[in-house]
Amino acid sequence: MPVQEYGIVERLRGSRVWRSVFRSGTGTSTLHRSLAVQQNIFLHLFATKVRKRMIRFNVTWFLGTLTLGTFFILVITGVLLMLYYHPSVPQAYADMKDLQFVVSSGLFLRNLHRWSAQAMVFLVFAHMFKVFYRGAYRTPREFNWVIGVVLLIITLLLSYTGYLLPWDQLAFWAITVGSNLSSTVPLIGNKIHFLLLGGNQVNANALLRFYVLHCVVLPLAAIIFIAVHFWRIRKDGGLYVQQSEPKMKAVDDAALATTEVK
Amino acid sequence: MQSLRKSISSVWRALFGDPVRAFGVVSLLLLAVLAIAPAKEHFSEWHSYQNRYLSLIRDRGDAVSLRRRFQPGIQQVWLPQLGVVDRCATCHEGLTEASLADVHAQPFRQHPSIPHKLDEFGCVICHRGQGAATTVAEAHQSERAGEEPILPARYIESGCGQCHQNALTGTPHLNQGRVMLARYGCVRCHTAKLPDGSTVVATDDPPSLMHVADKTTRAWIYSWLKDPQAYASTATMPNYKLSNSDASDISAFLVSSSTPRVGDTAAVEVKFTAPADPAVGATLYGESFCASCHAVQNAAGNIVGGNVGPELTRVGNKAKPEWMRAWLENPRSYNSTTLMPHYRFTPQQVTIMAGFLEAKLDSDYGTNVHLDAATPQQIAHGKKLTAELGCAACHEINGVKKPENFAPDLSRIGSKALAQIVFLPGMEHSLPRYISSKIQQPRAFGPGLKMPQFTLTTAQTSDLTNALLALTDRSHTMPDMLRVAAVRDTNYQPAGHAGKLMADLACFSCHRINGRGGDMAPDLTFEGSSVQRQWLDDFLKNPNTLRPSLIRRMPRLNLTDGDRKELTDYMLAVYQSPAIDQDSEPLTTNTPAVVEHGRQLFYSRYACQSCHIVDPKTDKGYIGPTLTAVGSRLTPAWIYAWLKNPQALRPGAIEPNQNVSDEDARAMTAFLMTQKGASKQVAKR
Repeated sequence: MPVQEYGIVERLRGSRVWRSVFRSGTGTSTLHRSLAVQQNIFLHLFATKVRKRMIRFNVTWFLGTLTLGTFFILVITGVLLMLYYHPSVPQAYADMKDLQFVVSSGLFLRNLHRWSAQAMVFLVFAHMFKVFYRGAYRTPREFNWVIGVVLLIITLLLSYTGYLLPWDQLAFWAITVGSNLSSTVPLIGNKIHFLLLGGNQVNANALLRFYVLHCVVLPLAAIIFIAVHFWRIRKDGGLYVQQSEPKMKAVDDAALATTEVK
Repeated sequence: MQSLRKSISSVWRALFGDPVRAFGVVSLLLLAVLAIAPAKEHFSEWHSYQNRYLSLIRDRGDAVSLRRRFQPGIQQVWLPQLGVVDRCATCHEGLTEASLADVHAQPFRQHPSIPHKLDEFGCVICHRGQGAATTVAEAHQSERAGEEPILPARYIESGCGQCHQNALTGTPHLNQGRVMLARYGCVRCHTAKLPDGSTVVATDDPPSLMHVADKTTRAWIYSWLKDPQAYASTATMPNYKLSNSDASDISAFLVSSSTPRVGDTAAVEVKFTAPADPAVGATLYGESFCASCHAVQNAAGNIVGGNVGPELTRVGNKAKPEWMRAWLENPRSYNSTTLMPHYRFTPQQVTIMAGFLEAKLDSDYGTNVHLDAATPQQIAHGKKLTAELGCAACHEINGVKKPENFAPDLSRIGSKALAQIVFLPGMEHSLPRYISSKIQQPRAFGPGLKMPQFTLTTAQTSDLTNALLALTDRSHTMPDMLRVAAVRDTNYQPAGHAGKLMADLACFSCHRINGRGGDMAPDLTFEGSSVQRQWLDDFLKNPNTLRPSLIRRMPRLNLTDGDRKELTDYMLAVYQSPAIDQDSEPLTTNTPAVVEHGRQLFYSRYACQSCHIVDPKTDKGYIGPTLTAVGSRLTPAWIYAWLKNPQALRPGAIEPNQNVSDEDARAMTAFLMTQKGASKQVAKR
C-alpha cells in the first residue's frame, strides 16, 4: 500500500469530526474492531466475530442476505414510485400509465419494484425451507423462527396490499376475492371485511387503506422485525452450522475472522 | 468433455475466484443492466416515428416552416374537465399541417377538416383508444383494464353524437341511425335514456289491435305473423320466426280478443262493380296524392311512394271491404291518432277508391293457409305467447298489458365493457361488431332470446350501430356546456274549431307549425304573413305544386267552403311573423320605371333566374319555386323581408343572403308583384 494514501486515510480517521462520529478509535487490534461493531447502531445487531465457516456460501446460500437486498431495492424504488402515484380512484390507473409511457425510466422503475417483490416472496420461502431442512429452527433459535414466520406474513401482506395499487381489473378483482376470504371468519367476518376495505366494496377507501398499509404500516413493521431477527441471530450464537457438516481445517477453525469479506 | 469442464472452471475462477474481482465483475454486469433502461427509452417507438417524420419533411418545399412547427418529445393534450390525456400527436405529427395533404401514409396523415380544434377535444373522445399510451399496440388495441380499442372509421360519427343530440349535416349516418332507432320500434322494448334525462321516443305508428278482426282476417294475420316482409317488403314489423302452431294460436287469440266497432261492420252494399272507366280509381288515387305517404311496388319491383303510411301493394289481401270503406270515410273513427288526414270523399269517391285499393292484391298470397277453428286452449296459449313476446309493447291488445322494461336498457350500450360481452365463436372481439351482429342476428346469441329478426340492409345496420355507439358513459358525464340538445317537438295545439279541423285533416303529419309536426311539407308558422288570402283559399280548394321537381304534393282534401274559410281566416290571423309589417309594403302598384329597374336587378345583378323561373320561355332555374304567379301568391312585405334575409324568416333556407340593399329589395319586390301568372288565370277561365 502506498504510504501517502495510507496517510490520508489515517489522517481522516484521526480527525475530530470522524472521532465524534466513530468513537471506537483507530487501530487494527481485535479490541478496536470489536468496538467498531459494538458501538455502531446498525452493526451492533451482528456478532462482533463470526466463524469463517458460518459465512461460506454452502451453509445458507445467502438466502437471508438476498432477501434483505430485495427489501432494500423495494424500499428505494417504492419511494421513487410514491413520487408519481396518487392513491385516488381515477388517478391511480392514469399514474400507472404515465409511469409506463412518459416518466423517464418509469417502466424500469415499476418493473424493478414488481420483480423484486416477486423475488422477495420467493427468497423468503426459500430461506424458510433452508432453515427448516437444516434444522436451524431448533433451540435456542425457536424464537427467531417465530419472528421469521411473522416476517413471512408481513412480506405476503406487503405483496397483497401492493397488488391493489395499480387499480386495474386484475387488481380490483384479486382484492375483491381476497378480501371476501376475510368475511368467512365466524361471527366477526363481516366486520373484519368492512374494516379492511373501509366499506363493503373495493373502492376509494380500500385503495387509500391499502396504500397506507403498503407504504407506511407494513414497511415499518417489517423494519422492526428485521432488526429483531438480526439481533436474535447474534443472541442465539450466530448462524447455525450443522454438526455433521465436514469440519474445516483445524487451522481455520481456530482462526477467527471478522465479518468483513477479505 | 473433460477439457470443456476444465475451461469453464478456469473462466469461473478468472471471473469470480477472487472476491475483489467478483465484486468488479458483478458491478460491471449491474451497470450493463442499468444501461438497458435509458437505452429502451431512446429506442422507443415514438422516437422512431418522430425521426421518420423529420426525414419525411426534409425534402419538401416548406421543410423550414414544417421543421419550425415540429416539436420533439411527447406531445400531449390535457383536458381535465373531460378526463382526457391524449398523446396521440406524439406520433401523429402532421395532424394540423395543411401542406401535408398529399401524405397518405399513417401516422402522418393530415386530419380531415372538422369544426372543432384538436387541442380542445383531444382524440379519444371521438376515436376512442387509449390516449395516454405512446405505443401503437397499447394506444390502438388495448382493452385490458376497460380501455376501449380504437373505433373503425365508419362509426366515427357516433363520437359527434355524444354531445350533439340534434341532427348535424355532417353526420348523415348517425342521423339516419337515430331516426331508425325511433322508427323501427327499438325503443318500445328497450329504454334509451339520453344525457339530458329524456328518453328516445318511438316515432313509428303501430296500429291498435283492439278491433283487428274488423279490419282483416285470421288467415291474413297468420301469414303476416309468419313473415311480415312477404306481405310488404317495406314493413317495419320484425319477423319473430314463429312456428306454424304458435302463429296460428296468436292469430286465433287476436281475432277472439278483438271487439267489433259498429261503423266498421255496418252493412253496406258491398258491391264493387268495376267502374266504367278503369282509370277513375287510379286518377282519384293520384289526385289525392296518396303516394306522398303510401308506397306501392311497381311492375319492375321498385317501391314507389312515401313511407309515412303502410305500403299498399297487397292491401286487397289484408283489408276487408267494409272496413276499407269505413276507413276511407273517416280514418279517425277507427284510430283517433292516425297520421292520415280525413279526406272529405263523397260516398261515390269512397266506393271508387275502396274498389281501386281492394283490387291491389296478390292472388297467390296466403293461398296455402288453412286454419282450423281454434280451441280455447289454443287461444289461451296464443294469449300467453302474446305476453311473452312483448307484442303489447307496440300494439294495443285487449287483455294484454303493455310490458315495462321488457328488454335491456341501451342508455350506455356504447360503453359496454368488452369483458362483459359473450361473443360468438369466431367473432371479432369489438363492440361495434357485437352491436351490429346483435341487430343482424339477434337469435344467434343463444336459445330463448326474444328479440325478433329485423330486415335491414348492411348500411342500415351500420347506421343504427352508429346511433347506439353514441350512447356512452362519457356522453352522460360530459360537461353541460358542451351538450347540444336535440330539437324536440313542442306540444303546440291550435285552438278552437280551426284547431279541431287541423287535427282532423292531420296537417301536422306533413307540416310543421310552432315547432311541432312533420318535415315533408313547408313550415307554416308564419304562413299568414307570407301569402295572400285569395291564393290560400284557391290552394286549399285545388292544391297545385310550386316546385315541379318534387314528387310529394299536398293532397286535395275536398274541403267545404265553410271549412276553407275557417282555415284561411285562422292562418291569416294567427300565423303572423312579428318581424313583418304588412302596412310598410302596401299592395300598391308601382311605376313601370321601378318595375323595370327591379327586373334588371333580378336578371343581371342578382341573377335570380339561376334558380327561379319567372318567364317559362327563357328561365331554366328549378332549384327554387316557380315565380310566375308570385305576385298573386305572396305578400309584398314578405317578399321584401325575404329578399333582405331569407334565413331570418326560415332558418336553413338554401337561398343565399346576398345583402340586398333596401332600394334594390323594394324594386325587386315591385317587379315580382307584377308576376300575377295572368296567362294561367286566363286559361282557367
